[in-house]
Amino acid sequence: MENKNLTDTLLENTRQENAPVQGGTQKKRSVLGFQTKDVVFLAILSAVILVTSAFMPLLLHIPVFGIIQIGLGLQFSLFPAIGVAKVRKPGSLVFMSVCSGVVLLFMNTVMFFCLLVCALIAEVVALLIFRSYERDGACFLACAIYFPLSLPFLYAWYQIMGGTVLAYVNSIWWVTALMSLAVVALCCLGSYLGIRISRELKKSGVLKK
Amino acid sequence: MSADKNILYPLTGLLSAIAILLSGLVFAKEPLCPALLAGFLLWLLLFGCYRACLRVLLPMLLVGGAFAGITYAASGDGQSALGMMNRTAAVFLAVIPGMSITPVQMTRCLSSLRAPRAVTLGMLIALSFVPLLTLEIRRVREAMVTRGAGSLLSPQILYRAFLIPLITRLVNISDTLSLSVETRGFTLDGKAYSIYHLQRFCLKDGLYILGILAGIAGMAVAVCTQ
Repeated sequence: MENKNLTDTLLENTRQENAPVQGGTQKKRSVLGFQTKDVVFLAILSAVILVTSAFMPLLLHIPVFGIIQIGLGLQFSLFPAIGVAKVRKPGSLVFMSVCSGVVLLFMNTVMFFCLLVCALIAEVVALLIFRSYERDGACFLACAIYFPLSLPFLYAWYQIMGGTVLAYVNSIWWVTALMSLAVVALCCLGSYLGIRISRELKKSGVLKK
Repeated sequence: MSADKNILYPLTGLLSAIAILLSGLVFAKEPLCPALLAGFLLWLLLFGCYRACLRVLLPMLLVGGAFAGITYAASGDGQSALGMMNRTAAVFLAVIPGMSITPVQMTRCLSSLRAPRAVTLGMLIALSFVPLLTLEIRRVREAMVTRGAGSLLSPQILYRAFLIPLITRLVNISDTLSLSVETRGFTLDGKAYSIYHLQRFCLKDGLYILGILAGIAGMAVAVCTQ
Protein backbone atom coordinates (compact mmCIF):
# COMPACT_ATOMS: atom_id res chain seq x y z
CA MET A 1 0.00 0.00 0.00
CA GLU A 2 2.80 2.33 0.98
CA ASN A 3 4.71 1.39 -2.16
CA LYS A 4 1.67 2.21 -4.30
CA ASN A 5 1.39 5.65 -2.74
CA LEU A 6 5.06 6.24 -3.34
CA THR A 7 4.72 5.22 -7.01
CA ASP A 8 1.72 7.50 -7.44
CA THR A 9 3.60 10.40 -5.90
CA LEU A 10 6.58 9.77 -8.16
CA LEU A 11 4.36 9.57 -11.24
CA GLU A 12 2.61 12.79 -10.27
CA ASN A 13 5.96 14.51 -9.80
CA THR A 14 7.14 13.32 -13.20
CA ARG A 15 3.91 14.60 -14.81
CA GLN A 16 4.41 17.98 -13.21
CA GLU A 17 8.03 18.12 -14.30
CA ASN A 18 7.14 17.28 -17.90
CA ALA A 19 4.03 19.44 -18.08
CA PRO A 20 4.38 22.33 -20.58
CA VAL A 21 4.98 25.53 -18.65
CA GLN A 22 3.50 28.68 -20.15
CA GLY A 23 6.32 30.61 -21.75
CA GLY A 24 8.73 27.85 -20.74
CA THR A 25 9.83 27.20 -24.30
CA GLN A 26 10.26 30.91 -24.90
CA LYS A 27 12.91 31.03 -22.19
CA LYS A 28 15.41 29.04 -24.22
CA ARG A 29 14.78 30.84 -27.50
CA SER A 30 16.55 33.79 -28.96
CA VAL A 31 16.28 35.83 -32.13
CA LEU A 32 14.94 33.74 -35.07
CA GLY A 33 14.05 30.92 -32.68
CA PHE A 34 17.54 29.46 -32.34
CA GLN A 35 18.22 27.41 -29.24
CA THR A 36 21.63 26.85 -27.67
CA LYS A 37 21.85 23.32 -29.10
CA ASP A 38 21.16 24.69 -32.61
CA VAL A 39 23.88 27.32 -32.27
CA VAL A 40 26.36 24.74 -30.96
CA PHE A 41 25.62 22.23 -33.72
CA LEU A 42 25.88 24.83 -36.50
CA ALA A 43 29.10 26.22 -35.00
CA ILE A 44 30.64 22.73 -34.85
CA LEU A 45 29.78 22.12 -38.49
CA SER A 46 31.31 25.51 -39.32
CA ALA A 47 34.50 24.33 -37.60
CA VAL A 48 34.42 21.23 -39.80
CA ILE A 49 34.18 23.49 -42.86
CA LEU A 50 37.12 25.51 -41.55
CA VAL A 51 39.29 22.44 -41.00
CA THR A 52 38.48 20.85 -44.34
CA SER A 53 39.12 24.14 -46.15
CA ALA A 54 42.55 24.67 -44.60
CA PHE A 55 44.31 24.22 -47.95
CA MET A 56 42.50 27.24 -49.42
CA PRO A 57 45.55 29.61 -49.31
CA LEU A 58 47.33 27.26 -51.71
CA LEU A 59 44.55 27.69 -54.28
CA LEU A 60 44.29 31.44 -53.84
CA HIS A 61 46.85 32.37 -56.47
CA ILE A 62 46.41 29.65 -59.05
CA PRO A 63 45.43 31.66 -62.13
CA VAL A 64 42.34 29.66 -63.06
CA PHE A 65 38.87 31.12 -62.58
CA GLY A 66 36.81 29.20 -60.00
CA ILE A 67 39.64 26.98 -58.77
CA ILE A 68 38.88 27.99 -55.15
CA GLN A 69 35.23 27.03 -55.61
CA ILE A 70 36.26 23.66 -57.08
CA GLY A 71 38.53 23.01 -54.12
CA LEU A 72 36.00 24.06 -51.49
CA GLY A 73 32.68 23.33 -53.22
CA LEU A 74 32.07 19.94 -51.64
CA GLN A 75 32.73 21.10 -48.07
CA PHE A 76 30.70 24.30 -48.51
CA SER A 77 27.64 22.36 -49.68
CA LEU A 78 27.79 19.05 -47.79
CA PHE A 79 28.21 20.35 -44.24
CA PRO A 80 25.75 23.27 -44.60
CA ALA A 81 23.22 20.77 -45.98
CA ILE A 82 23.60 18.62 -42.85
CA GLY A 83 23.32 21.72 -40.66
CA VAL A 84 20.22 23.09 -42.39
CA ALA A 85 18.64 19.61 -42.48
CA LYS A 86 18.92 19.43 -38.68
CA VAL A 87 18.22 23.06 -37.80
CA ARG A 88 15.39 23.81 -40.22
CA LYS A 89 15.11 27.48 -39.35
CA PRO A 90 15.59 30.57 -41.50
CA GLY A 91 19.02 32.00 -40.79
CA SER A 92 20.81 28.67 -40.32
CA LEU A 93 22.84 29.04 -43.49
CA VAL A 94 23.69 32.68 -42.77
CA PHE A 95 24.77 31.73 -39.26
CA MET A 96 27.04 28.99 -40.61
CA SER A 97 28.53 31.37 -43.15
CA VAL A 98 29.30 33.88 -40.37
CA CYS A 99 30.95 31.23 -38.18
CA SER A 100 32.94 29.61 -40.98
CA GLY A 101 33.95 33.01 -42.30
CA VAL A 102 35.61 34.18 -39.07
CA VAL A 103 39.02 33.03 -40.27
CA LEU A 104 38.34 34.47 -43.72
CA LEU A 105 37.90 37.87 -42.08
CA PHE A 106 41.67 37.97 -41.56
CA MET A 107 42.70 36.16 -44.75
CA ASN A 108 40.29 37.38 -47.36
CA THR A 109 37.78 39.88 -46.02
CA VAL A 110 36.12 40.35 -49.40
CA MET A 111 35.43 36.61 -49.57
CA PHE A 112 33.83 36.72 -46.11
CA PHE A 113 31.33 39.42 -47.08
CA CYS A 114 30.80 37.75 -50.44
CA LEU A 115 29.90 34.44 -48.74
CA LEU A 116 27.62 36.24 -46.31
CA VAL A 117 25.71 37.88 -49.16
CA CYS A 118 25.58 34.54 -51.02
CA ALA A 119 24.14 32.80 -47.95
CA LEU A 120 21.51 35.55 -47.63
CA ILE A 121 20.53 35.28 -51.30
CA ALA A 122 20.45 31.45 -51.17
CA GLU A 123 18.19 31.51 -48.11
CA VAL A 124 15.86 34.10 -49.60
CA VAL A 125 15.55 32.13 -52.87
CA ALA A 126 14.91 28.82 -51.06
CA LEU A 127 12.39 30.38 -48.67
CA LEU A 128 10.59 32.22 -51.47
CA ILE A 129 10.12 28.97 -53.37
CA PHE A 130 9.47 26.55 -50.50
CA ARG A 131 8.24 28.99 -47.77
CA SER A 132 10.17 27.06 -45.08
CA TYR A 133 12.91 24.47 -44.65
CA GLU A 134 10.42 21.73 -43.77
CA ARG A 135 10.97 19.99 -47.10
CA ASP A 136 14.33 18.49 -48.01
CA GLY A 137 14.11 20.25 -51.38
CA ALA A 138 14.46 23.62 -49.68
CA CYS A 139 17.60 22.51 -47.82
CA PHE A 140 19.01 21.05 -51.02
CA LEU A 141 18.32 24.18 -53.06
CA ALA A 142 19.73 26.61 -50.49
CA CYS A 143 22.96 24.65 -50.04
CA ALA A 144 23.37 23.83 -53.74
CA ILE A 145 23.23 27.48 -54.85
CA TYR A 146 25.04 28.96 -51.84
CA PHE A 147 28.64 28.51 -53.00
CA PRO A 148 28.15 28.80 -56.80
CA LEU A 149 26.60 32.23 -56.14
CA SER A 150 30.08 33.45 -55.19
CA LEU A 151 31.23 33.00 -58.82
CA PRO A 152 29.69 36.25 -60.14
CA PHE A 153 31.14 38.11 -57.15
CA LEU A 154 34.53 36.58 -57.85
CA TYR A 155 34.28 37.63 -61.49
CA ALA A 156 33.45 41.20 -60.47
CA TRP A 157 36.34 41.17 -57.99
CA TYR A 158 38.80 40.08 -60.69
CA GLN A 159 37.46 42.81 -62.98
CA ILE A 160 38.22 45.37 -60.27
CA MET A 161 41.57 43.99 -59.13
CA GLY A 162 42.89 42.88 -62.54
CA GLY A 163 45.95 40.62 -62.47
CA THR A 164 46.83 37.30 -64.03
CA VAL A 165 43.49 35.62 -63.40
CA LEU A 166 41.60 38.32 -65.28
CA ALA A 167 43.83 37.76 -68.31
CA TYR A 168 42.97 34.04 -68.18
CA VAL A 169 39.26 34.70 -67.66
CA ASN A 170 39.08 37.01 -70.63
CA SER A 171 41.27 35.00 -73.00
CA ILE A 172 40.11 31.42 -72.34
CA TRP A 173 36.39 31.94 -71.81
CA TRP A 174 35.44 28.27 -72.23
CA VAL A 175 37.60 27.29 -69.26
CA THR A 176 35.67 29.84 -67.18
CA ALA A 177 32.34 28.40 -68.38
CA LEU A 178 33.50 24.83 -67.79
CA MET A 179 34.77 25.61 -64.31
CA SER A 180 31.51 27.37 -63.41
CA LEU A 181 29.51 24.31 -64.52
CA ALA A 182 31.82 22.02 -62.57
CA VAL A 183 31.32 24.14 -59.42
CA VAL A 184 27.52 23.94 -59.78
CA ALA A 185 27.67 20.15 -60.31
CA LEU A 186 30.01 19.68 -57.33
CA CYS A 187 27.80 21.77 -55.03
CA CYS A 188 24.67 19.88 -56.13
CA LEU A 189 26.46 16.61 -55.36
CA GLY A 190 27.62 17.90 -51.97
CA SER A 191 24.16 19.14 -51.09
CA TYR A 192 22.58 15.83 -52.13
CA LEU A 193 25.10 13.89 -50.05
CA GLY A 194 24.44 16.14 -47.05
CA ILE A 195 20.69 15.56 -47.26
CA ARG A 196 21.27 11.83 -47.71
CA ILE A 197 23.53 11.63 -44.67
CA SER A 198 21.07 13.59 -42.53
CA ARG A 199 18.21 11.31 -43.65
CA GLU A 200 20.25 8.27 -42.77
CA LEU A 201 21.18 9.68 -39.37
CA LYS A 202 17.55 10.63 -38.68
CA LYS A 203 16.45 7.13 -39.57
CA SER A 204 18.96 5.65 -37.14
CA GLY A 205 17.88 8.11 -34.45
CA VAL A 206 21.20 9.97 -34.18
CA LEU A 207 19.97 13.24 -35.63
CA LYS A 208 16.96 14.62 -33.83
CA LYS A 209 15.06 17.78 -34.63
CA MET B 1 44.68 47.38 -25.51
CA SER B 2 43.66 44.20 -23.85
CA ALA B 3 44.43 43.33 -20.29
CA ASP B 4 47.34 41.12 -21.36
CA LYS B 5 50.58 42.71 -22.45
CA ASN B 6 51.71 42.57 -26.07
CA ILE B 7 48.28 41.68 -27.42
CA LEU B 8 46.42 43.83 -29.89
CA TYR B 9 42.85 44.94 -29.45
CA PRO B 10 40.94 42.38 -31.59
CA LEU B 11 39.15 44.89 -33.82
CA THR B 12 42.42 46.78 -34.43
CA GLY B 13 43.95 43.48 -35.48
CA LEU B 14 41.05 42.85 -37.83
CA LEU B 15 41.26 46.33 -39.35
CA SER B 16 45.02 46.00 -39.84
CA ALA B 17 44.57 42.59 -41.51
CA ILE B 18 42.14 44.14 -44.01
CA ALA B 19 44.50 47.08 -44.63
CA ILE B 20 47.56 44.84 -45.13
CA LEU B 21 45.71 42.49 -47.48
CA LEU B 22 44.15 45.19 -49.64
CA SER B 23 47.32 47.30 -49.87
CA GLY B 24 49.35 44.20 -50.75
CA LEU B 25 46.93 43.32 -53.55
CA VAL B 26 46.65 46.88 -54.88
CA PHE B 27 50.39 47.66 -54.87
CA ALA B 28 51.53 44.11 -55.76
CA LYS B 29 53.17 45.12 -59.03
CA GLU B 30 54.97 48.18 -57.66
CA PRO B 31 58.76 47.83 -57.14
CA LEU B 32 58.39 49.38 -53.66
CA CYS B 33 55.82 46.80 -52.51
CA PRO B 34 58.37 44.40 -50.93
CA ALA B 35 59.63 47.32 -48.82
CA LEU B 36 56.06 48.08 -47.70
CA LEU B 37 55.45 44.44 -46.79
CA ALA B 38 58.79 44.24 -44.96
CA GLY B 39 57.75 47.36 -43.05
CA PHE B 40 54.46 45.69 -42.07
CA LEU B 41 56.36 42.63 -40.87
CA LEU B 42 58.68 44.78 -38.77
CA TRP B 43 55.73 46.72 -37.35
CA LEU B 44 53.95 43.49 -36.40
CA LEU B 45 57.13 42.23 -34.75
CA LEU B 46 57.43 45.48 -32.79
CA PHE B 47 53.85 45.22 -31.54
CA GLY B 48 54.24 41.78 -30.03
CA CYS B 49 53.15 39.45 -32.84
CA TYR B 50 56.62 37.89 -33.03
CA ARG B 51 55.46 34.29 -32.46
CA ALA B 52 52.93 34.47 -35.28
CA CYS B 53 55.52 36.24 -37.48
CA LEU B 54 58.02 33.44 -36.94
CA ARG B 55 55.40 30.79 -37.64
CA VAL B 56 54.29 32.46 -40.85
CA LEU B 57 57.68 33.48 -42.26
CA LEU B 58 58.85 30.10 -43.58
CA PRO B 59 55.53 29.04 -45.21
CA MET B 60 55.25 32.54 -46.69
CA LEU B 61 58.68 32.29 -48.32
CA LEU B 62 58.11 28.71 -49.49
CA VAL B 63 54.61 29.18 -50.93
CA GLY B 64 55.36 32.66 -52.30
CA GLY B 65 58.59 31.44 -53.88
CA ALA B 66 56.85 28.44 -55.43
CA PHE B 67 54.04 30.54 -56.92
CA ALA B 68 56.49 33.20 -58.13
CA GLY B 69 58.57 30.45 -59.75
CA ILE B 70 55.54 28.94 -61.48
CA THR B 71 54.44 32.38 -62.70
CA TYR B 72 57.92 33.14 -64.02
CA ALA B 73 58.11 29.75 -65.74
CA ALA B 74 54.69 30.30 -67.33
CA SER B 75 55.06 33.93 -68.40
CA GLY B 76 58.81 34.62 -68.37
CA ASP B 77 57.99 38.01 -66.87
CA GLY B 78 59.87 39.00 -63.72
CA GLN B 79 57.33 41.73 -62.90
CA SER B 80 54.46 39.20 -62.81
CA ALA B 81 56.54 36.85 -60.64
CA LEU B 82 57.25 39.69 -58.20
CA GLY B 83 53.56 40.58 -58.18
CA MET B 84 52.67 37.00 -57.32
CA MET B 85 55.24 36.90 -54.54
CA ASN B 86 53.88 40.17 -53.12
CA ARG B 87 50.26 38.99 -53.23
CA THR B 88 51.11 35.74 -51.45
CA ALA B 89 53.18 37.62 -48.86
CA ALA B 90 50.27 40.04 -48.28
CA VAL B 91 47.87 37.14 -47.62
CA PHE B 92 50.28 35.54 -45.15
CA LEU B 93 51.03 38.86 -43.41
CA ALA B 94 47.31 39.60 -43.08
CA VAL B 95 46.90 36.33 -41.18
CA ILE B 96 49.45 37.36 -38.50
CA PRO B 97 47.16 39.74 -36.50
CA GLY B 98 44.45 37.05 -36.57
CA MET B 99 46.88 34.44 -35.27
CA SER B 100 47.89 36.74 -32.42
CA ILE B 101 44.30 37.13 -31.20
CA THR B 102 42.80 34.19 -29.35
CA PRO B 103 39.14 33.23 -29.94
CA VAL B 104 38.36 34.08 -26.31
CA GLN B 105 39.70 37.63 -26.71
CA MET B 106 37.71 38.11 -29.89
CA THR B 107 34.56 36.85 -28.14
CA ARG B 108 35.10 39.11 -25.12
CA CYS B 109 35.64 42.08 -27.42
CA LEU B 110 32.47 41.36 -29.40
CA SER B 111 30.51 40.74 -26.21
CA SER B 112 31.59 44.10 -24.82
CA LEU B 113 30.34 45.66 -28.06
CA ARG B 114 26.96 43.98 -27.45
CA ALA B 115 27.17 41.57 -30.38
CA PRO B 116 24.43 38.89 -30.29
CA ARG B 117 25.34 36.08 -27.91
CA ALA B 118 24.53 33.43 -30.50
CA VAL B 119 27.14 34.92 -32.82
CA THR B 120 29.84 35.21 -30.16
CA LEU B 121 29.19 31.68 -28.90
CA GLY B 122 29.20 30.35 -32.48
CA MET B 123 32.48 32.09 -33.29
CA LEU B 124 34.07 30.87 -30.08
CA ILE B 125 33.07 27.26 -30.74
CA ALA B 126 33.99 27.38 -34.43
CA LEU B 127 37.50 28.67 -33.65
CA SER B 128 38.19 26.66 -30.49
CA PHE B 129 36.82 23.40 -31.86
CA VAL B 130 39.45 23.00 -34.59
CA PRO B 131 42.08 21.07 -32.52
CA LEU B 132 39.40 18.77 -31.08
CA LEU B 133 38.04 18.16 -34.54
CA THR B 134 41.41 17.14 -35.96
CA LEU B 135 41.68 14.68 -33.07
CA GLU B 136 38.22 13.26 -33.89
CA ILE B 137 39.14 12.92 -37.56
CA ARG B 138 42.29 11.03 -36.55
CA ARG B 139 40.24 8.74 -34.31
CA VAL B 140 37.80 7.91 -37.10
CA ARG B 141 40.75 7.20 -39.42
CA GLU B 142 42.30 4.93 -36.77
CA ALA B 143 38.99 3.10 -36.39
CA MET B 144 38.92 2.65 -40.16
CA VAL B 145 42.41 1.16 -40.11
CA THR B 146 41.51 -1.15 -37.22
CA ARG B 147 38.46 -2.41 -39.10
CA GLY B 148 40.44 -2.73 -42.31
CA ALA B 149 37.98 -0.43 -44.09
CA GLY B 150 40.35 0.40 -46.95
CA SER B 151 41.38 3.61 -48.65
CA LEU B 152 39.63 6.97 -48.27
CA LEU B 153 40.00 7.51 -51.99
CA SER B 154 37.10 5.14 -52.63
CA PRO B 155 33.87 7.22 -52.52
CA GLN B 156 31.84 4.39 -50.94
CA ILE B 157 34.38 3.87 -48.16
CA LEU B 158 34.68 7.62 -47.62
CA TYR B 159 30.90 7.89 -47.25
CA ARG B 160 30.17 4.78 -45.18
CA ALA B 161 33.29 4.38 -43.07
CA PHE B 162 34.42 8.00 -42.64
CA LEU B 163 31.65 10.58 -43.11
CA ILE B 164 28.82 8.76 -41.31
CA PRO B 165 30.87 7.91 -38.15
CA LEU B 166 32.38 11.41 -38.12
CA ILE B 167 29.00 13.17 -38.32
CA THR B 168 27.55 10.79 -35.71
CA ARG B 169 30.42 11.66 -33.38
CA LEU B 170 29.93 15.38 -34.06
CA VAL B 171 26.22 15.16 -33.24
CA ASN B 172 27.06 13.46 -29.93
CA ILE B 173 29.71 16.07 -29.10
CA SER B 174 27.28 18.84 -30.02
CA ASP B 175 24.60 17.44 -27.67
CA THR B 176 27.07 17.16 -24.80
CA LEU B 177 28.54 20.60 -25.44
CA SER B 178 25.16 22.33 -25.61
CA LEU B 179 24.11 20.68 -22.35
CA SER B 180 27.37 21.78 -20.79
CA VAL B 181 26.93 25.34 -22.05
CA GLU B 182 23.38 25.52 -20.66
CA THR B 183 24.46 24.01 -17.35
CA ARG B 184 27.02 26.80 -16.99
CA GLY B 185 24.22 29.33 -17.19
CA PHE B 186 24.55 30.39 -20.81
CA THR B 187 21.28 31.64 -22.29
CA LEU B 188 20.31 33.28 -25.56
CA ASP B 189 17.41 35.26 -24.15
CA GLY B 190 19.22 38.59 -23.86
CA LYS B 191 19.71 38.61 -20.09
CA ALA B 192 22.48 40.79 -18.68
CA TYR B 193 25.83 39.04 -18.26
CA SER B 194 29.29 39.92 -17.01
CA ILE B 195 32.39 39.95 -19.20
CA TYR B 196 35.61 38.66 -17.73
CA HIS B 197 38.81 40.57 -18.73
CA LEU B 198 37.41 43.45 -20.73
CA GLN B 199 39.26 44.21 -23.97
CA ARG B 200 39.88 47.94 -24.33
CA PHE B 201 41.31 50.05 -27.11
CA CYS B 202 44.38 51.96 -25.89
CA LEU B 203 47.20 54.20 -27.08
CA LYS B 204 49.34 51.28 -28.26
CA ASP B 205 46.54 50.04 -30.54
CA GLY B 206 46.08 53.55 -31.93
CA LEU B 207 49.80 53.84 -32.63
CA TYR B 208 49.82 50.42 -34.27
CA ILE B 209 46.97 51.12 -36.68
CA LEU B 210 48.29 54.62 -37.41
CA GLY B 211 51.63 53.12 -38.39
CA ILE B 212 49.95 50.67 -40.79
CA LEU B 213 47.83 53.43 -42.36
CA ALA B 214 50.85 55.76 -42.59
CA GLY B 215 52.77 53.05 -44.46
CA ILE B 216 49.93 52.63 -46.94
CA ALA B 217 49.57 56.40 -47.39
CA GLY B 218 53.34 56.75 -47.94
CA MET B 219 53.24 54.00 -50.55
CA ALA B 220 50.32 55.66 -52.32
CA VAL B 221 52.18 58.98 -52.42
CA ALA B 222 55.34 57.28 -53.71
CA VAL B 223 53.37 55.53 -56.47
CA CYS B 224 51.57 58.74 -57.48
CA THR B 225 54.78 60.80 -57.64
CA GLN B 226 56.66 58.18 -59.68
